[in-house]
Amino acid sequence: MKKTPERIESLAAEYVLGSLKGRARLRFERWMMESYRVRQEVWFWEEKLSGLAAVVPEEQPPARVWPAIQQRLWPEEMPRASVSQLSERRTGPRWLWPSWGLLATAAALVMAVLLVQQPEPERFPMLSGAIVQQDVADPLWLVSEAGDDNRLRLRPVAASAAESDKDYELWVVPEEGQPLSLGVIPVGDSVLQIELSDAVRAALDKSRTLAISLEPVGGSPTGAPTGPILHVTKLYEL
Amino acid sequence: MMEDTSQDELMGLLGAIARQDRQAFQRLYEKVAGRMFGLCQKLAGQQELAEEALQDAFVRIWHHASEYHSDRGSPMSWMMTIARYRTLDLMRARKVRQTAGDEALNHVEDERAGPLDASMQMDGSAALTGCLDELSSVQRDSILLSYYRGFTHEELSMALSTPIGTVKSWIRRGLLVLKRCLER
Repeated sequence: MKKTPERIESLAAEYVLGSLKGRARLRFERWMMESYRVRQEVWFWEEKLSGLAAVVPEEQPPARVWPAIQQRLWPEEMPRASVSQLSERRTGPRWLWPSWGLLATAAALVMAVLLVQQPEPERFPMLSGAIVQQDVADPLWLVSEAGDDNRLRLRPVAASAAESDKDYELWVVPEEGQPLSLGVIPVGDSVLQIELSDAVRAALDKSRTLAISLEPVGGSPTGAPTGPILHVTKLYEL
Repeated sequence: MMEDTSQDELMGLLGAIARQDRQAFQRLYEKVAGRMFGLCQKLAGQQELAEEALQDAFVRIWHHASEYHSDRGSPMSWMMTIARYRTLDLMRARKVRQTAGDEALNHVEDERAGPLDASMQMDGSAALTGCLDELSSVQRDSILLSYYRGFTHEELSMALSTPIGTVKSWIRRGLLVLKRCLER
C-alpha cells in the first residue's frame, strides 16, 4: 500500500481513534517508525482528540493503585502486602515508600473534596440512535435527545413517504405494558421536536426502545399500534 | 495546589521524571491520576481493568518521560493518550465487549468538564467541540462512541444496526470533515 498523503491522513486518524485494528494497525505502526511525517499526523490527532477527554469527569483512583505502581517499578523497595507481614520487624528506608503512598492517598482525598465545587459545563446529547432498514445504506430517521429539557429530535434522512392513506407513528416501547405514542412523524426535510412527558421520559430511559408503525392518516385511532410495526430501534447512550 | 497546575508545571514534572525524580513522579500522579482514571473508567466500563490500565500508563510515563516533546501535544494530552491506548489494549486483549445500552456499562449521566482550571484543560477542546457540530449526527456519534467507549467497527455496526461498511465510511468521512475544520 502506498503512503499517499490522503491515506496517511485517514489512517492516522483511525489509528488514534482506535478503530484501525489487526494487520492494518501493525502496518501503520511500521509506517510510523519509518516516517516523521506519519508520526506528526498521529500527534496531530492525539492532541486534537484528547480535547474530548477534557469533558470526562475526573475520578480518583482507589488508594491501592499508587502503591501498586511503585511495586511494579521498584519491587525491591516496596514489598508486597504478604511479604510485608513477614518483614514487620525491619525498619529503615524500606518503609519510606509505603508511607509516601499513604501520603498520596491523603492528598488525593483532600483534592477530591476541594474539587467538587466547580461550575457545570454543557452536555452532549445523552441518547441517540438511528432507525435503519436493511439494505438501505443511510438511516431512515435519526433520533437524538435535544439538550436536557425532555425533548427528542427526529430527523428524516432516507425515509420515504408512507402509502397515500397512511402515516408513520412513533412509539416508546416500555419494558412492560403498551407502547406509548409520540405521534405521527414526518418524512420530508423537517426536523420534528417531540416533547416528552415525565412518564414517557421515564419509560424511554428504562427501555431505550422506539418503534414505528404504519397507521391510518393522523395516527392510530385507538391509542395503541394498529398497523404493522415497521421498525424497532434501541437508543444508545453517549 | 490543583488551581496552580498548568501545562508548564506538568512539563517541568515530566522533565524531572526523565531524570528519575520519584518525588516529581508522585506529584504528577497526584495531579493527573484522577483525570486519567476518569477516562480509563469511562472507556473500560469496569473498575478492575481501568485500574490496571492506569498502572500501566504510569509505568509507561515513568519509563518514557524523556521521550515527551512539545510536538507531541500538551503534556496532559500526551498522558491522556497513553492512558487511553493502554485501556484499549487491555480491552482488546481481554475481549471486553462493548454493548450499547448494556446496563452493566457505566452510566454517564453528564459530561461535565473535569474539575480543573482552564489552564489544565486540553488545548483546543472548545475548538473541537465546535467542529463536532459540523459533522452529521451519525458521523459524530460513531466517532464519539469509538473515542469514549472504544467501540470497534463491528460493535458500532451492531449498536447502530447498520452495515459495517456504512459505519466505516461514517467514521472516515467524519474524521476528514473534522480535520478540515480543525485546520481552519
